[in-house]
Amino acid sequence: MNRHRLMAVVAKESREIIRDPITVGVSVLLPLVMLFLFGYAISLDVEDVALGVLDQDKSPASRALSDSFVQSGYFRLISDFKTVDEVEDALQRGRVKMTLVIPPRFHAALVRKESPAVQILVDGTYSATALVAANYAQTIVAGFRQPARPSPIQLETRVWYNAPMRSVNYVVPGLYAVILMAFPPLLTALALVREKESGSIQQIFASPLTPAEFIVGKLIPYGLIAFAQMIMVISLGFFWFQVPFQGNLGFLLATALIFVFCTVGIGLLVSTITRSQLTAMLLALIITLMPSFLFSGFLFPIFTMPYVLQLYTTLFPARYFVELSRGIVLKGGGLEVLWVNVAVLLLYTLVVFWLAAWRFRKKVA
Amino acid sequence: MAGGGNTAWIIEAQSIGRRFGTQNVLADIKLQISEGEIFGLLGPDGAGKTTLMQILAAILDPTEGACRVLGFDTVKQTASITSRIGYMSQGFTLYDRLTVDENLSFAAGVRGIEGSVFQQRRQRLLAMAGLTQFGGRRAGNLSGGMRKKLSLCSNLIHEPPLLLLDELSLGVDPVSRRELWQMLREFRESGATIVVTTPYMDEADYCDRLALLDHGQILALDSPDALRRRGEGTVFELTTNRAKEVLKVLTDRPELSGLQWLGTVLHILLRSATTLPNDIVQALQNLGQLQPVPASLEDVFVQMTAPESAVQAPAFVPSSPSPDSTAELDVVQLKGVTCRFGDFTAVDNVSLNVPAGEVFGFLGPNGAGKTTLIRAMCALLKPASGELRVAGVDVVKEPMRLRSRIGYMSQRFSLYTELTVAENLSFFAGVYGIDGHPRVEAIAWASDMIGLSGMEDRKVQELSAALRQRLALACSVLHRPAVLFLDEPTSGVDPVSRQRFWQLIQSLASTGMAIFVTTHYLEEATYCHRLGLMYEGRLIAAGSIPALRSGLSMKEATRMETIFMAYIDREKKAAPLTEAVS
Repeated sequence: MNRHRLMAVVAKESREIIRDPITVGVSVLLPLVMLFLFGYAISLDVEDVALGVLDQDKSPASRALSDSFVQSGYFRLISDFKTVDEVEDALQRGRVKMTLVIPPRFHAALVRKESPAVQILVDGTYSATALVAANYAQTIVAGFRQPARPSPIQLETRVWYNAPMRSVNYVVPGLYAVILMAFPPLLTALALVREKESGSIQQIFASPLTPAEFIVGKLIPYGLIAFAQMIMVISLGFFWFQVPFQGNLGFLLATALIFVFCTVGIGLLVSTITRSQLTAMLLALIITLMPSFLFSGFLFPIFTMPYVLQLYTTLFPARYFVELSRGIVLKGGGLEVLWVNVAVLLLYTLVVFWLAAWRFRKKVA
Repeated sequence: MAGGGNTAWIIEAQSIGRRFGTQNVLADIKLQISEGEIFGLLGPDGAGKTTLMQILAAILDPTEGACRVLGFDTVKQTASITSRIGYMSQGFTLYDRLTVDENLSFAAGVRGIEGSVFQQRRQRLLAMAGLTQFGGRRAGNLSGGMRKKLSLCSNLIHEPPLLLLDELSLGVDPVSRRELWQMLREFRESGATIVVTTPYMDEADYCDRLALLDHGQILALDSPDALRRRGEGTVFELTTNRAKEVLKVLTDRPELSGLQWLGTVLHILLRSATTLPNDIVQALQNLGQLQPVPASLEDVFVQMTAPESAVQAPAFVPSSPSPDSTAELDVVQLKGVTCRFGDFTAVDNVSLNVPAGEVFGFLGPNGAGKTTLIRAMCALLKPASGELRVAGVDVVKEPMRLRSRIGYMSQRFSLYTELTVAENLSFFAGVYGIDGHPRVEAIAWASDMIGLSGMEDRKVQELSAALRQRLALACSVLHRPAVLFLDEPTSGVDPVSRQRFWQLIQSLASTGMAIFVTTHYLEEATYCHRLGLMYEGRLIAAGSIPALRSGLSMKEATRMETIFMAYIDREKKAAPLTEAVS
């Protein structure tokens, strides 16, 4: 690889990028939009569940039970129902997500030291939320006026790595991977195809530039932009969303560098097999953005997927970086724990580069 | 010579062919070009010129045969070729966001030209191209001619022994064209070999040798003079007022290869190597003034590509619109029309009157404002100022009423390629609200007039460019518009079909239709009754060719290009032009 020729490409590409307001805008604004949108929108926390109560007892004990739901902070009392029909209607319309049904003579049964049954009706259409809410209800009911009866086994639960169980701590480090998977490939894919569309690529073909010089020369500026995006979103995650940072920043940045070159490489690969900017854009979105949402473990844990799909997720580099990012940011993991992911990413990047340089032939057809 | 082989040829093509899928784009091309030659590849769009150039530049592999360039094999020794040659592909190949200097330094950088050598060459080339003071301007803000000159500079920066130029002058105004050729002649002094392609027959004279290319095959290969000599004695012109009788004499004569009316002059082209039979000579001499004229390259080209069957005489009588037409008869009246895109004035204060039945041609390089003006007349875009009356309708106020009175055929024939000929015609008839029996009649009239009968069931995608062009024309005249606009209708069509198309246009005009045509083929000017010369948005002159000639008191035989250039020069003197558009 000739250094002068390479630098000529890098200089030309950098100038073109800087002078294109759209490229600059896309690379600065879109990651920010996505970070804030998803940082705020995606919350797996269960708070303020809309609660309805059908109190058929109307006793001090029944009132105390419904009060303890509201006081727990997880539930918000929306309405007091009079009849079973009202309950059904409210659940159907989605006005309440859960209804507590306290039977008649609840207070009397408690006084008689019997164990009266109360009913919880949960809207199960959002199964994950329903499950969590039902668990909260279970805990509240179990603790209600329960005299401390020593149990033979004591359960002491400690949540590690994300002690307050804030979902933003879980979502934002995953977003680092998704954002870097979404935009850099898009930019690079367009960069080469634009030259194909304008015809300037033919001048490149009929020049002494080797495919590797041209590809690498194109990659360097886009890789740097992607890396700058990375630093931007990581700092915002730390300072704005206050995601705790447990691990080594240098280690995260080093792996991020590998990852961004991998993703811009994918963009280049896309552009070597497409002819128009439109197809390049669509293909880039289909193979990068979509799987990085669904199959990277960003939102849906991979270990709960069927085995075949788990194998499928290994095709997408975002999966490795989601684990790396969470492993470093939340768990403080180092190379000794995460080396497999680093190695796979590195290998992946090299293969992508090799494929792109191999696909990029200096021929028009 | 820097080559690796033992041959003396700079380019040696051994029966090369190229297929794309099932389509044979090039077949059996044999070429030998020696050092220092300027070699021209001439032919219509789609003849295979670009494909051949790409093979010579080693950026496309031939599917048959082999080719050696500078002594290297184009398939096996690609890098040795691409690192030496200069290749300018079709269209604009600069980086618009880079400045003139940056474009040059990129071209130099990838070829390892640096330091003082680069600076020296940069200065010399920019001076030669007249771009010295524009070094800091972005390429995207240069005019078409300047961009071409810069492209040429970036290909000369490494002083290549072989320069391949694809469509050097396409979309370039005549002045820049002259300057480009001037640069090439200077560069040639260094002993370099130059290969150019062009669809303009008039550029051929710059070349030492020419290959006429058609449908992927070389029809002839010789010097321009020798090629013209092939047509010696086969071209005549008849000046006459008795067109009907003349056509009777000439109908169905197997000796004829082409007939073309230019006003009152009939251009008669015989098949190659035939002579005009005595009976015809006598008959014609009785009807007008017959004289032999030298063959042009286009004549020779037509002779070589004309179909075997006898030529049909044009079935119409040329009509010249009455010269004393009054304003009421003018179907098009433009007063001070100006169109702007942002700061850029695309059409600048154009006033023009055109009577019914006239074929009016807009000539000018790409970007001169021809298309914009036509769009304004069709109410497809709103002019910034000025009055437009077309077919008796105020264009700005009543665009909807205008639509049914005009026909418009755009640069890319707007046809539905998945539909058949009949379906396209029927659709466009429906668009103009022609239904039931009138629709059947209109379609029959148009397809008969335009010669589409018998191919109603063929899909448009199977048709040749020439047939598509005719179908598009048919679609645009179904409703018998008062004014017809044709935007570059003949680009991409071979000379024979182009002549046929012009005959159609003239026969439509003889029905009283006013027809506006834009073209960048200057030789097509002769087919129009009157011409408008467009340059940088202004209509710098309008009139018939003789009127234009006498306007600058030029000689009888002055070529259209010379006339155009003279008008541009006059315009430049009158108001110094800013060279670049913003």
